[in-house]
Amino acid sequence: MTTATEPVETKRAAKTIKVDYLARVEGEGSLHIKLQGNRVQDVKFGIFEPPRLFEAFLRGRHFMEAPDITARICGICPIAYQMSSIHALERALGVKVHPAVRMLRRLFYCGEWIESHALHVYLLHAPDFLGYPDALAMAREHRNIVEQGLRLKKIGNELVALLGGREIHPVSACVGGFYKVPAKRDLRRIAGDLEWALEASLATARFVAGLEFPDFEQDYEFVALSHPDEYPLNEGRLVSNKGLDIDAGEYESVFVEQHVRHSNALHSQIRARGSYLVGPLARFNLCYSRLPEIARRTAEECGLRVPCLNPFKSIVVRAVELVFACHEALRLIAAYEPPPAPRVQVEPRGGVGHAATEAPRGILYHRYHVDAGGLILSAQIIPPTSQNQKRIEDDLWHLAPRLTDLSAEEMTWKCEQAIRNYDPCISCATHFLRLHVTRE
Amino acid sequence: MTEARSTETAQDVVAELPLIIGCGNLHRGDDAAGMLVAHRLQELGVPARECQGEAMRLMEAWRGCSAVVIIDAVVTGAEAGHIMTWDAHQAPLASGPFRCSSHGFGIAEAIELARTLGRLPPRLTIYGIEGTSFERGAPPSPAVKRAVEAVSQRILHDYRVTLHPRSA
Repeated sequence: MTTATEPVETKRAAKTIKVDYLARVEGEGSLHIKLQGNRVQDVKFGIFEPPRLFEAFLRGRHFMEAPDITARICGICPIAYQMSSIHALERALGVKVHPAVRMLRRLFYCGEWIESHALHVYLLHAPDFLGYPDALAMAREHRNIVEQGLRLKKIGNELVALLGGREIHPVSACVGGFYKVPAKRDLRRIAGDLEWALEASLATARFVAGLEFPDFEQDYEFVALSHPDEYPLNEGRLVSNKGLDIDAGEYESVFVEQHVRHSNALHSQIRARGSYLVGPLARFNLCYSRLPEIARRTAEECGLRVPCLNPFKSIVVRAVELVFACHEALRLIAAYEPPPAPRVQVEPRGGVGHAATEAPRGILYHRYHVDAGGLILSAQIIPPTSQNQKRIEDDLWHLAPRLTDLSAEEMTWKCEQAIRNYDPCISCATHFLRLHVTRE
Repeated sequence: MTEARSTETAQDVVAELPLIIGCGNLHRGDDAAGMLVAHRLQELGVPARECQGEAMRLMEAWRGCSAVVIIDAVVTGAEAGHIMTWDAHQAPLASGPFRCSSHGFGIAEAIELARTLGRLPPRLTIYGIEGTSFERGAPPSPAVKRAVEAVSQRILHDYRVTLHPRSA
């Protein structure tokens, strides 16, 4: 039941944009913008999806349970949750994995990027640019495009199922490695489909580069993982274009979460600086040099330049990342030699571990405090949509005044599109803050 | 010869059996209706799958099937537990009655997208059970539970007729 309330024009120059249920985003969110003439008076990107309480569920659980519990947070990006929890716990427990396991985890993540980006580019975001209310209407006139998107998504899902045991909430990844690793022939089976997916991704990039983009740029602080040799997925330092360069262990000393009345998801900010942007645009701008040559060439052909400051062009960047993910998956499959054992034995010990990995929507931070028996004492999970919330509102503060000449309907559509630039995963974002209520 | 012929007949019959998919969410009150029908059918020995109702997964699930039955909770304004059926080939399915799925891409969208892409199964029946309460963590209402049993028995009957046409 996805319904957008018609925008309401009120007396004189006051105008309100109100969308009760945002369409083509995951979870339940709303938008409320109040304008007086060309001046924005208020912007509220509301998230009313109830808190999920996963951090509380984790308390008292054995560390081996965490990847399977956190995978349940999201049906689109469960691997991101598994990977961040596994890396954080491995840091807490001092675990080193075999290089082949590291490669498999990277391959696993490629599958998630492919299915998630294909879903967003083709079925959720492209209709905005082509003037259709949804993918269904788009499919009536662009059947081949939708078919291509569906097949790409399916290949991503198959790669996830191959490594994770199933495509939704996979079960194979664990602290120390995997419960089961594939044979070389298992991976080779999917290589043909990935060859097709790579060609389809190149075509996707050419297609989305030809869309029309609003002239809108912002002075963003981009934050992404940065690895010296690789485009980031599982590992790296947290860097920004404004001088940030920290280990994940320092995350909470730099980033701060705040509760705002209109959202069940906490707003993240960089201390004393404000909002920041995570996701494809941040990765592209901060890690461009580590994209493979085929992805860099595609970006150039699509007219992308570093820094890309137009959030509407995130659809093109996602397509470039699709090229990267398919190419990287093929590279990893070609180089794969199974590890001597699927996982290393992990002995419990007390400690704290932090990790961030790159979910399709941006950095996903986890912290765990484990006791000497391996039980989780506390957990902290900060998803990318929660981090992007304030930045989304900041975009709307700057975008809305430029749209006042449009009809109310067009203005609403453009604002929704600006939210979809971030591919928000609202259900994921609603993690819980311990509230302290003082009554006098 | 006899054995070969009987095998062939059995395969033909099996090919005609519908894929049954119960949709919804077990933990949101009446939204559990479709899933509960799937569970009940499994108890009765009828193969039935569960699906949260996400469009692309539904389309993948029914790929290559000649007959499909979907059960889900609906909201039309009728009394709780009211049962409705639709033949997907008769008319486009409005998304209004169906609960939305991830990204607002649910059963109605799956059916209409499949129709547009030429991927609709030759026979597709949808059972809707009217729900009125979708509270998180709440049990389904008594009226919906009664409807779950009624729909299960109806599907069981049709299934048996398909499996043993002469005994019907």
